[in-house]
Amino acid sequence: MANTWGYGAMTNSLGDIQNSKAIIIFGANPAVNHPVGFQHFLKAKERNNSQLIVIDPRFTKTAAKADFYARIRPGTDVPFMYGMLNIIFKNGWEDKKYIDDRVYGMDEIKKEAAKWTPEKVADVTGVSAEQLMQITKVYAKSTPGTLIWAMGLTQHSVGTSNTRLAPILQLSLGNMGVEGGGTNILRGHDNVQGATDMGCLADTLPGYYGLSSGSWKYFAKSWGVDYEWLAGRFKSKDWMSKKGFSLARWYAGVLGGKPGEDKIHNAGTNLKALFVMGNGITSIAQQAKVKEALDNLELIVLADPFVNEAAILTDKKDDIFLLPAATQFETSGTVVATNRTAQWRYQVVEPMYESKPDQDIMFEFAKRLGFYKEYTKAMLMRDNKTEFKWPEDATNEIARIIKTIGLTGWTADRLKKHTDNWHMFDEVSLRGSGPMKDEYYGLPWPCWTETHGGSTVLYDINRSVKEGGMGFRNRFGMEHNGTDLLAGKSSAPKGSSNPNGYPEINAKNIEAVLGITLTADEKAKIGKNWKVDTSNIIAEKCMKAGIAPYGNARARAIVWTFPDQIPMHREPLHSPRTDLVKKYPSFEKDKENHFRVDTKYGTLQSSKDWAKEFPINLVTARLVNLNGAGMENRASKYLAALTPEMFCDIHPDLANNHGIRNGGMMTIHSPEGTHITVKAKFSFSVSPDRIFIPFHFAGVFQGRDLKSHYPDGTAPYATGESANTVTNYGYDIITQIPETKGGLCRIEKA
Amino acid sequence: MTSTTQNALSTKIGRRSFLKMAAIAGAFGATSSFASENVTRPATAEEVKNPFPGSKEVKTICTACSVGCGITAEVQNGVWVRQEVAQDHPISLGGHCCKGADMIDMVRSEVRLKYPMVKEAGQWKRISWDTAYERISKKLNSLRETSGPDAVQFLGSAKMSSEQAYYFRKFAAFFGTNNTDHQARI
Repeated sequence: MANTWGYGAMTNSLGDIQNSKAIIIFGANPAVNHPVGFQHFLKAKERNNSQLIVIDPRFTKTAAKADFYARIRPGTDVPFMYGMLNIIFKNGWEDKKYIDDRVYGMDEIKKEAAKWTPEKVADVTGVSAEQLMQITKVYAKSTPGTLIWAMGLTQHSVGTSNTRLAPILQLSLGNMGVEGGGTNILRGHDNVQGATDMGCLADTLPGYYGLSSGSWKYFAKSWGVDYEWLAGRFKSKDWMSKKGFSLARWYAGVLGGKPGEDKIHNAGTNLKALFVMGNGITSIAQQAKVKEALDNLELIVLADPFVNEAAILTDKKDDIFLLPAATQFETSGTVVATNRTAQWRYQVVEPMYESKPDQDIMFEFAKRLGFYKEYTKAMLMRDNKTEFKWPEDATNEIARIIKTIGLTGWTADRLKKHTDNWHMFDEVSLRGSGPMKDEYYGLPWPCWTETHGGSTVLYDINRSVKEGGMGFRNRFGMEHNGTDLLAGKSSAPKGSSNPNGYPEINAKNIEAVLGITLTADEKAKIGKNWKVDTSNIIAEKCMKAGIAPYGNARARAIVWTFPDQIPMHREPLHSPRTDLVKKYPSFEKDKENHFRVDTKYGTLQSSKDWAKEFPINLVTARLVNLNGAGMENRASKYLAALTPEMFCDIHPDLANNHGIRNGGMMTIHSPEGTHITVKAKFSFSVSPDRIFIPFHFAGVFQGRDLKSHYPDGTAPYATGESANTVTNYGYDIITQIPETKGGLCRIEKA
Repeated sequence: MTSTTQNALSTKIGRRSFLKMAAIAGAFGATSSFASENVTRPATAEEVKNPFPGSKEVKTICTACSVGCGITAEVQNGVWVRQEVAQDHPISLGGHCCKGADMIDMVRSEVRLKYPMVKEAGQWKRISWDTAYERISKKLNSLRETSGPDAVQFLGSAKMSSEQAYYFRKFAAFFGTNNTDHQARI
């Protein structure tokens, strides 16, 4: 998404879905995973007669509320969307003016879409041509339409292609930058958006600044430390600019070099210590490898309010430390909802037992590792303080530094005022009244200045920049192959001093683009460009001129730096259709040094006829009562009681073929050579060619009950086999997200 | 009060009626009439209306998912005694799912990790924070010296506040590695 139009985030809001005339959901199940948010979907149906379309390998509880449901084969979203585009272009239902003014490269998409006739799509996806045509017609004719997704769309070896084609589908219909439209990703955990924005990632610094020396210099300066000193903390400047291991494959860093393991590139060392805060690593793919990695570490530190089940999974006998972290109700700070709305989470009680909030733990380690003073200095810089106050001074530090996504307006005082006044905002538009007039609830970013009211609908040119309007971001240069990448004539946000496309603003072009003259004083203070302008002169001047600091450009359908410049269908690494693997193979070459580890694609896919031995599709997802790795929720006797055991949804016909009875035990074998034995639950939500298992369980490993590994009095009320013991190898070629939504397995009666 | 609540829940007494009784017990103090033959009595109208005198209400946000539902937490004497939905919250509109409704019990769960522990020779052992900090820091420092900062993997969380997530990333940077990530990857 960020590679299409500038930002990778939900573009509209849950309330705004009430404005939609059609809602199409790919690989998300909000009725179960976001139940309270789902009421806005139901209101859209009730108030707006919105048509709800669900595309999912399973007949989910969301599908039960749908007007149209298509049971898609896992990993075939690209053909399905191209099929929709084929019908849209064939009938001339696309928004031609919108595409002309605001999109680059749609012709390439049109060419590829022409190949995906409804009949061909039916063969690949398992959705009939009639159903595809019916769904496409309803969706294309009922604008504005919103497109929703979650991990069902992203967790594929072609996840990035999926999340590029969905925006392109929306662009073709002119559904972007309008109320009731948008690409609305439903985030999982409460602060996925916030923690991602804060760059808690292997490939970027806070605010998506990247890892180049320029970014590091900006942060060193903003943190009040010497760049050379900071660089000296790393092995070398070279390693400072390289992506680290990711959560998806950190274990490879421990196992690298062992026979049969993927090669690693990690500054000449294996991983020897693991430091985890609040992360259920028993819900990531390849649990058998995770276990082996844990067994081989020299030091494991796990800080969590409950026992992190990594400590239970491993057979390591020494040097595993469990630190009782406080819950988020025992501290305070900002949490960013899926729609970029910030809320102040006030502290409810003091930390219970001996638990400590995460920041106290980090500060104490920083002291003992010898960098506390440098580490906390930036909290004192804004007002030349001698002591900082947590979290307010950290909030204000972030607001001072993070310009890329417009966090300048997110001061602690303002965020608190929003939460204090949450009753003053409209549920659909999020507009405030009374003391909150001219602001949207939680100041959804970008919130360009300390008086800006936030931006609730991204890329909306029918609002002024001051009211949250903007075009697409100028992020990919000025031209490509001779085509101008700036937006077309008269497609600037309302009330702009410059009615056409314009570049991102920097110190050199500000006067020309905005049509202003800077004073000598302003010229002396202004930063090099809008992303590093801590003087805020660029943002303030832009607001006055109605100009978005990041420019006004075209969204792009072609990403010339990616292996697939336009999204292409590639079968999952483990596909049940061997015939289609030959036609639509994965990437021919394996990817070297992908987040520090070599990663297999085509060579693995073609190494064997996987479907012969493992003919059943394996789908994983969540349950309504559990969350993530389930550590917290299985520690609740009420929630645990709802699903006390791990289970597998299986169609009675499939079960019968294997002699499996409802309530009886069944074993699931994976191509990795791993297996789990779980209770069979007959269900028509799955078709006879696939099974479903939830991924929240841990505490049992390949038939071995690990209950005795829990310290006394800490075992959760429910334990079970982890689904991710049997999910398959496979990672996205750009983001390295694991392919857990479309693997294979073999089943038998246990 | 947590453990008493749990005991009460394992019997046939409903939660609401238990809270009424608990309020009475509090009012009677140590010389409660629980010992006398009238173990329970109907709560007075005032006690039903205001079972937690002197409590304060805190506006806060659910930690279950990314919807960001409002929570009204009632706190008395430093104890989270009651959780209500936020009827006037612009996203949740008074809604809670089963996970959200459980926030109060998650915080007060009996199976929480209560103190620092270390596994030694296959056995869990209680240790002090100071010991934990000292032993972990010593090992991290020595690994940094001998194998370099990239020998350590940091995994933060999408369940942290933004400030904590930012400071977690910053921690890895100051330690000297980009081996840091969180759940957004999956």
